Amino acid sequence: MSDLFAFNGSQDAGYAQPDPISDEFAIPAALQRSKLPRWPRASEPEIVRHYTWLSTRSHGIDSGFYPLGSCTMKHNPRVNERIVQMPGMNDLHALSPASHLQGMMAIFHEMQEMLAHCAGMDTVTLQPVAGAQGEFTAMRCVQEYHRDIGQENRDKVIVPDSAHGTNPASAAMCGYEIIEIPSLDNGRLDLDALRAVVGDDTAAMMITNPSTLGLFEPEIAEAAEIVHEAGGQMYYDGANFNAILGKTNPGLMGFDAVHYNLHKTFSQPHGGGGPGAGPIGVKAHLSDYLPSPLVIAEEDEEGETWFDWYEPPKTIGKVQQWHGNSGATVRAWAFYRRYGRDLEKMSEHAVLNANYLRHRIMNPSKEVRDSIHAMPCDGAPADVVKHEFTLSMTPVKDATGVTGKDIAKRLLDFGYMAPTLYFPMIVPECLMFEPTETESKEAIDQFADDFLHILTEDPELVKTAPHDTPVKRVDEVWAARNLILRHPCDDE
Amino acid sequence: MVDQLPNLGREAEMLEAMGMTSIDDLFTDIPEHVRRSEPLDLPPPQTEEEILREARMLLGMNISVDSRPSFLGAGLYSNYVPTMVPMLATRGEFLTAYTPYQPEVSQGMLQAMWEFQTMVSELVGLPVSNVSMYDASTAAAEALTCAVRVHGRKASQKSTIYVSELIPPHRMSVIHNYTQGAEIVVKTLPHNDDGMIDLTAVGAAEGACAVYVEQPNSFGLLDPGLCELKPIIGENTALIVGVQPVSLGLVAPPGDYGADIVVGEGQPFGIGPTAGGPIYGLFACSEAYIRQMPGRIVGLSKDSDGERAFTLTLSTREQHIRRHRATSNICSNETLIALMGAMHMALLGPGGLEKLAQRNAGACSATKSALLALDEVELVHPNGSHFNEFAIRLPRPAADLLSFLDDECDITGGLDLSQWWPERENELLVCATDQIDIEDIEELAEGIQDWLEGYE
Repeated sequence: MSDLFAFNGSQDAGYAQPDPISDEFAIPAALQRSKLPRWPRASEPEIVRHYTWLSTRSHGIDSGFYPLGSCTMKHNPRVNERIVQMPGMNDLHALSPASHLQGMMAIFHEMQEMLAHCAGMDTVTLQPVAGAQGEFTAMRCVQEYHRDIGQENRDKVIVPDSAHGTNPASAAMCGYEIIEIPSLDNGRLDLDALRAVVGDDTAAMMITNPSTLGLFEPEIAEAAEIVHEAGGQMYYDGANFNAILGKTNPGLMGFDAVHYNLHKTFSQPHGGGGPGAGPIGVKAHLSDYLPSPLVIAEEDEEGETWFDWYEPPKTIGKVQQWHGNSGATVRAWAFYRRYGRDLEKMSEHAVLNANYLRHRIMNPSKEVRDSIHAMPCDGAPADVVKHEFTLSMTPVKDATGVTGKDIAKRLLDFGYMAPTLYFPMIVPECLMFEPTETESKEAIDQFADDFLHILTEDPELVKTAPHDTPVKRVDEVWAARNLILRHPCDDE
Repeated sequence: MVDQLPNLGREAEMLEAMGMTSIDDLFTDIPEHVRRSEPLDLPPPQTEEEILREARMLLGMNISVDSRPSFLGAGLYSNYVPTMVPMLATRGEFLTAYTPYQPEVSQGMLQAMWEFQTMVSELVGLPVSNVSMYDASTAAAEALTCAVRVHGRKASQKSTIYVSELIPPHRMSVIHNYTQGAEIVVKTLPHNDDGMIDLTAVGAAEGACAVYVEQPNSFGLLDPGLCELKPIIGENTALIVGVQPVSLGLVAPPGDYGADIVVGEGQPFGIGPTAGGPIYGLFACSEAYIRQMPGRIVGLSKDSDGERAFTLTLSTREQHIRRHRATSNICSNETLIALMGAMHMALLGPGGLEKLAQRNAGACSATKSALLALDEVELVHPNGSHFNEFAIRLPRPAADLLSFLDDECDITGGLDLSQWWPERENELLVCATDQIDIEDIEELAEGIQDWLEGYE
């Protein structure tokens, strides 16, 4: 066990710095710091070892299969990390004149165009730095659009009960009232429920397609028609865009606005929780409201392309203070260049792998089947799924008392990250699997075999899992009751 | 040919196992009328080598602040990040992990974030920090909405917040976008001509939900008046202070003068200005705000053997549980950049932080002296103490000087303040961080002198 605050070297044990170039500065007396923060007093060798030790107690995609549904944990190509460490990236200032940022703006412009094309949208901004911020930004644009055309009475946003939690949270932050509509028994969008709630107070419907069940909504165009006829806007949560790139697009389905998760579809590393990037694309009628600035391409007198900033005339202003997560944009650019027009293959393989994994889990050999206590059931019936699928562990729980959470924890013992647990909430004892396109057939076969094996194990062993992880099952309730949110840093 | 798909060429085998014959069989659920009719109109796939070459060409077209003397700050600061930091942070176990929903296999990142929370808490003088916000502006905006949730019911000025009139317009814009939905009324606090807050006007904020000020402010001014605010506004109005965290190596932590929430731009710890992102916002608060604060928080706990263990906690505030009643919509944050910040802070240590702050203060002071020696250049706030930044008034538009310095001297001179406030056409915001040396300052002073003479 390595404790960062136990290092006990000198005050300046860390890295040596050049001396100040002047000591003629003064801090007003009332503002002078009397006691330095109790930060670690450690040297580079100690700090390197500390964080290396911590890394051995973490699990990334690099460590093993990571079928975390809805999160699209695909391989992160390493050249992308090399690129963002090159000169001309980390050392750029956002407020430098456009003449200093032409290469960066060329990448921004290409990404704006590429993303618009892939989603069937007219204009893209790269400013939002996370999917949730993209949702928020797009809903702000919708809000200003409605105010502009004299329809500020539209104060309700419709979301299906299977939606990501960020959808209602983002719309609520804009001030919208949320109307949640139930899904059909088969998990699909209920058009009658939608018809029952749309009206002249509908601002928008927010929906992801494929849905969080991993199922393509076959009646999406009809849903868009219903919302549009009522005068509302259609918002596409792009978290699941990975499944359909090149096959269809939100524009064809009737959407007016969409966000992209560059950290899902376009392989920006998730970094243990971020950074992500959540650019949004909109149809022309919403373009004037986008956050500022966008990048436009012009031709100078010599016919050379010149990139410049552009402020949309009715812009909502800023949602992040600079140009969004440029580093994520550059990584996503490098990722998309790797595929180019074959991005469609990426989606095909994401879907192929998900269906194959589902098939392998749900069709064990007779020998294995006979030793399983109970088989899970589909979260929703479907002939094919898209990039992810849900299974309900209810039959297993009924037969053995083993819950979805227990199985998730037991999977950790096999070196896997657990699937997404208990989401979407409409599937009881839900596990949601997303293998992504970068897993091999062998890895998927092995995972399926291990998963099925767990279903044969002594229920007590599974209920007390995990056993072989750096720590045993963590008491989350104790943490919330005691709220020890920092090291005491006691001087000993 | 794409090289990222392990099952390329093995589709038939996998399809056959499922009783299918073609990839198209997997997409039968997409109705004809919403299908694309044309393939994607994008360039052919490229190899790693080709992409790297093109990236080098494109990024090479940029002019970086490290390649020349640069006096541009204004919220993003040139800094030095020790080599160890990116090397360790890009270890795959950190880089390629998701949010640590499964604590048993995420102890490393959880502990690192708990340590980050501790270092931020120590730095700003408040007991609780979250795991990061997107940037300084969203941190400020969410601090304000958080304060309204905490104080809204009792406040005599319902849903009203007061914000320093000197905060940069882009931050004001973010605050507007984040607060308008809750119908929060944003009023401004005036400043005196010397750039300090007008303490006689602060009484107006009594009974409001929050006051937001910055230390140092947009002009780099350290304002001792901020120490007077809390007694004026009282217990039921949150004092929110935005900081440049490096300054806290010398400057009192806002927690010491009554701040309830401290926010700021973490960027100087951990990552270069990186064209404005990814960076990370700091958010720390006192205990009264914990249950209304946005973002992820790591808590210490124990495992089933009673061993020390970490986990995300207070999740019931968050969107994945509370949905539209969540305290914030934030899901993805900036954890990896916060991790880089933590590594940088840990390697600095207390003495290193103090020295880094001295280097910044020293560079600012030396630059100020050199420019004041020039005829026709005067300080906009001559009597103030500055950290990192100060504004000078010129006889001609600052934009003209910046073009001259850029074209003739290869110097990035600072921020033309008319970009923020049109009436400040002749004012230039000059920033000197620890990356500025004596030669840089001499070059800047000579450049400005040449420009001044060119107009005589």
